[in-house]
Order: sequence, then C-alpha cells, then structure tokens
Amino acid sequence: MSSLNASLATALSGLTAEQGALEATTNNVANVNTPGYSRLVPVLVSSDPIVVDPLTLGTGVTLQSVESIRDPLLESQIQQETQVQGQFNSLTSALQQTQDNFTTSSSDIGTQISNFFDSINQLSTDPADLSVRQGVLTAAGNLATSFNTTANSLTQQQNSLDLSVVQTVGQINQLTSQIAQLNGQISNLQNVGESAGSFIDQRTQAIDQLSTLTDISVIPSNNSVTLTTGNGAALVTGQQSFTLQTQLNSSGLHDVYSQGDDITASITSGQLGGTLQARDQQIPAILTQLDTLASSLANAVNGVQAAGFDLNGNAGTNLFTPPPATGVGAAASLSVAITDPSLIAASSDGSTGSNGNAEALYALGSQTIINGQTPSDYYSGVVFNVGNDVSNASAEQTASGLVLQQLNDQRSSISGVSLDEEAANMVQYQSAYAAAAQVVTTINDMLYTVVNMATLTG
Amino acid sequence: MRVNPNPYPDILAAVERTQQQVNTDEQEIASGQSVNVPSDNPAAAASLVQNADQTSQADQFERSLGSIQGEIQSADSTLNSVTTALQQAIALGVEGANGTVSATDRQAIATQLQGIQNQLLSLANLPYQGNYVFAGTATQTAPYVLDSSSPSGVTYQGNTGTNNVTLGSQFTLQANLPGSQLFSASGNDVFLSVQNLISSLQSGIGIGTAVTGVGSALSYINEKQVFYSNASSQLTAQQTYLSSETTQLAEQQNTIGGADLTAVVSNLTASQTSVQAALEAVGQTAQLNLFSYLK
Repeated sequence: MSSLNASLATALSGLTAEQGALEATTNNVANVNTPGYSRLVPVLVSSDPIVVDPLTLGTGVTLQSVESIRDPLLESQIQQETQVQGQFNSLTSALQQTQDNFTTSSSDIGTQISNFFDSINQLSTDPADLSVRQGVLTAAGNLATSFNTTANSLTQQQNSLDLSVVQTVGQINQLTSQIAQLNGQISNLQNVGESAGSFIDQRTQAIDQLSTLTDISVIPSNNSVTLTTGNGAALVTGQQSFTLQTQLNSSGLHDVYSQGDDITASITSGQLGGTLQARDQQIPAILTQLDTLASSLANAVNGVQAAGFDLNGNAGTNLFTPPPATGVGAAASLSVAITDPSLIAASSDGSTGSNGNAEALYALGSQTIINGQTPSDYYSGVVFNVGNDVSNASAEQTASGLVLQQLNDQRSSISGVSLDEEAANMVQYQSAYAAAAQVVTTINDMLYTVVNMATLTG
Repeated sequence: MRVNPNPYPDILAAVERTQQQVNTDEQEIASGQSVNVPSDNPAAAASLVQNADQTSQADQFERSLGSIQGEIQSADSTLNSVTTALQQAIALGVEGANGTVSATDRQAIATQLQGIQNQLLSLANLPYQGNYVFAGTATQTAPYVLDSSSPSGVTYQGNTGTNNVTLGSQFTLQANLPGSQLFSASGNDVFLSVQNLISSLQSGIGIGTAVTGVGSALSYINEKQVFYSNASSQLTAQQTYLSSETTQLAEQQNTIGGADLTAVVSNLTASQTSVQAALEAVGQTAQLNLFSYLK
C-alpha cells in the first residue's frame, strides 16, 4: 500500500533534485567566461524503490553528484602542446630581436666590409695621399665598430634573456607551490566524498600556465597529480612542491638547479626552454660566426700589412689589434691598432707611390679567407642562418599555435559552457520543478480531503 | 557531436593572423621591398647581402676609375706636348744643319733648343694631384733633375716601378709608365738626343746624325704614347661596362628583393575584406543565444 505521505516525500525529492540541477546550470552560466572552467552536469538517479508487497514503488529522485565534464587525455595533450608553443613563442621573439642587427642598413657589418675594401681600392689609385689613407683608417674603424655594436647587442640580449630565465624560474616555483596547495584541497574534499570540480579546474589552469613556462610531465595519482620536469626532477608530489634554483655559472649566466643538480641542458620546451635555447645555443652560435669572421679578417689584413711597407718605407705593422688566439670575443673587441694613416702598408717595395700591397689588401675581399669563403659571402651566410632560425622558429610557432587552437576547440566542445544548452536546461529544470510543485499541491489537496473525511465520520 | 560553444578565440586568432599579414603587406608597400628582415626570405636576404657588396664594389670601381682617368689623360696630353717640343727641336736642328747658317745663328738655335730641353724637363716632371706621374712609384720626388755631369744633362731619380689598379672584378689596369721607359730609355733617351743636338749645333759637327737621334726619340715617345691612349680607351670601355653592371645589379636586386606591388596590394585588399567579414560575423552571432528568446 502506498501512502500520501510517501508520495509527498517523492514529490519533494523532485523539487530538491531540480533545484540542485538548476544550481549547476546557474554556476555554468556564471562561469561562462572563466578560463579553464569545465561545465557541470547534474547526475540525477532514481532513488531506491521500496517493496510493499506485491508492489515495488519508486521513492523519487536523488541528485547523486554534480560532475565536471573534462577529458584528461585531451588536457594532457594541451599541456604538451602548450609547452611547445611557449618554447617557440619565446624563441621567436628572442631571435626576431637578434635579426634586427642583421637587417641591411648603412651600418651593418656587410655594408662596412664593403666600405672597408672600397676604401682600399681608392687607396690603390693614389697610395701616397694622406686623406685617402685616412679614409681607409676611418672605414676600418667603422668596420670594427659595427662588429663591436653587433656583438655587444647580442651579448646584451643574452643578458636580458638570462634575466628572464631567473624570472621564469620564480614563476614556476610560484605555480608549483600553488598546485601542491590545490592538490591538498582536492584530496581533502574528495576524501569526504565531495566534488572538487572547481579546484580541479584551477589546478588544470595552473598546470596549463606551468606548461607555458617549462617542460613538465604530469602523472595523475589518487586525487592528486605529481609533476616532474621533462627529465624527471620532482616539482610537485602530493602537497609538497620542490623549488627550482638559479645559480650563476662561469660565463655569468644563470643555470637552473633542481635539488642540487644542474638541469639547464635538459629543459627543452616551454618559455624557459625557448629562452635557454636562444641564450645558450642560437645567440652563441651567431656570436661564434661573427668572431670567426672578425678574427680571420683581422689576421688576414694584418698578415698582408706585414708583407708591405708604409709611407715611410718601414715594414707594415698591424692594422687591427690582433684578435684573441682562440677567436673568442674577437667581434666584440675588434679595434684598429694605428691612428697614423701613413702606417698603412700600401707599398710593396718601400717606394711611396707603390700600390702593390694595397692591391694585395684589396684582393683579400675576394679571397676565401674565412673558413673557405670570402668575407662578404661568409657574412651573407650568417645573415641566411639568422633569417632561417627566425623563419623556422616562427613557422613552428604558427604550426603549434594551430594545433593548440584545435585542441582547445576540442576541450571547449567537451568542457565549455554553451549558453543555449544552459538555457534549455534551465527551462527543463524549471518546468520539472513546477510539475513537482504541482504534484505537491495535488497531494496537499488529497490530504485535505482525507482529513475532512475523517472529521465528517468522526 | 557537441559543438565548441565558444568560437571567439578562433575567430580572434584568425583575425590576428590576417592582421599580421596586413602589417607585412603594408611594410612591403611602404618600403617597396619584399625582404625587410632576413626571416622574410633567408636565401634572398643572403643574396641581397652579396648584391649590395657587388654594387658597392662597382660604384667604387667607377670612382677609382675616375681618379685614374684624370692621371692617364694628363699623361697623354703631356706626351702630346713632348711630341710637339721634339718636332720643334727637329725643325730647329734641320734649320741649323743648313750649311748657309752662320755659327752665331747655330748658337742662337742651340740656345732655343736649351729652352726646349727645359720645357721637356718640366713636362717629364709632370705632377698630378701631388704625385709625379713619370717617376715610377717614387711619386713624391721629381724624377728628373738637372745634372751637368750627366751626358744627357739630367739624371733620372725615379724608379722602374709600375702600379696595377683593380678597376673591375675581372679588370686590372697598369696605370703608369716610369720615366725610365719613356724619356730616358736606353737607346732612345729624349734628353740625351736633344743634348746631342745642342752640342752638335754648338760644334757644328754631326748635326744631321743628332737630328736623326731626336727623330728616333720622337718615334719612340709616340710608340709609348699608345700605352696611354690604349689605357684611356680601356677605361672608357670599362666605364661603360661598370655602368651596365650597376644597372644589372640593381635589376637583380629588384628581382630578388623588390615587392610585387600589384600582388601585395591585391593581397592587402583581400586581407582587409576578410578581417572585416570575420569581425562582422562576430558582431552578429554574439547577439544570438537561447536566453535572448526566453521572455
């Protein structure tokens, strides 16, 4: 036998459940623009029936849980791609600054190499003329300055990238401590059977941000995630986070340490990876090429100088201060060794009007004196390398941006809040609520009837 | 399948990409260059560096050629004057050889010839912009000085050096002849031949032979003058070559790095249209969702 009271309880369960479901909708609508928010879906199940022989009667509905809808695999793919994106974002922007030094202008190295050899060609037409000789010294000085300026600008860029390494490590530490804290909050809630959806969203968001910064592995475990760097150094386990440290190395740049180990070389992606790549690989490679160019050119010019005679008939001395034997730092330190224009060794026989050695100096411009290439060809190779680095990095950046966009679209199609959907749900819950309320009213009427009937018979 | 309910980031990203293209196009139009930074086209940027170097070289060759040309022309016209002076000397010698001329008149002719010899001396000591043109490579001192102890009356102080000047990637020109090959060449010494003529006029002996000597010195000078006229015409030819090379390099530069303005402008228009369309689409769809209809 059923009872009106039982029916009233069943109707009430409907009211409560629909109200709860509406709350999920309300929360979804409120968070429609919250980054990383996963929409909530109420899980309604019918309550356990009771058996009143011979009938089995339903007892209404229960709002079992409110689930956050997310795809963990997709989220891990997004984190992977975010790391790649972070890497190429920082690499591209670093290299774009680098290539400004190699854009053709009136003062770039290529132009100054041409000017230097041009001035020697002019000297060849009038080797005894002091003003023409001064022209060669001026051109040599400008050439040295363009090497200095370019090398210094690259070093400066390296230093500012180094600063960004330190800052990024700070941000990483902040995020890992935040994630460890969220791990704690999530497991506390889940241990008592509560839904931790919004904390999980926050944690996912923090891991996404961390992915922008560096390469990480995310290992989900019970109610919590363990984070390590790409090569396995622990960042977060449970509620504990491990900070990364920075330490100055012998070249005055910061290395990244995890619990005493230097992990700099193993950081390959994320903003930190891109920054390190530009700081430790790309820019040093360009600097090395400039050093090779500067030192080979200076040595070759000095060598020819020594074979000739200056305006006073003396054997030629160095035109450029001899570059360091290893070549390292040659571009930054290139300088002209003489200030007296008469010391240029234009003469091949000691007579003032001989241009034989000036011709030999001029010929250097078309000789393969820099690693098998002429100075201008070698420099054009440097320009190609710089341009190619930027163009590759920016192509990778675009490609990874598109992949990331697609993945985010997928995440959004799974987890994103659709206002249309929420509006429909709202209408649905609202009408279910109204219906349940109508049932309560009806039962109320029926109870009234029953009570009045008792009064009449009594 | 559930549709991505929030397409705006995609649209914005697309608009941003198009906008970036618009910026690149605008830069191309403003500069007229398709390669504004090396990454625009690394291979083209490298070629442009080489092109700029070759252009700079060609421009310099033209300047150097200009400097050399002046000196060559000056030497050439000086040798014309030498020819004239020697022709005068011969005429005077022929006049002096005439048996009817008195010893006094021969003396007067000899004196005239001394004037010519002085003129020859100053011609051989031709300076050009602070350099003695006929001194070999010892250009800072006058090549010829008077020397009464020398049979020719002068001594050559220059050297035998010559300068070759590079005036093209495949062109080198010898820019001078030393006095030792011109005025004091053994067997055809200009000064000696004139000195001999003066002496023979003074003594009245061997005037005819001396005149012949001056004549052979003259033809030797004329022979050598060909060097300068050749050099001069070579320079003119090289100048023509260099200016066509410069034009060619400029064309090449334009082919490698010049902007195709027609294409860029049409791209730009297309990009602008697409940005506008995307933005309009956002503007319209943004107002649509079910909530708007639930009243």
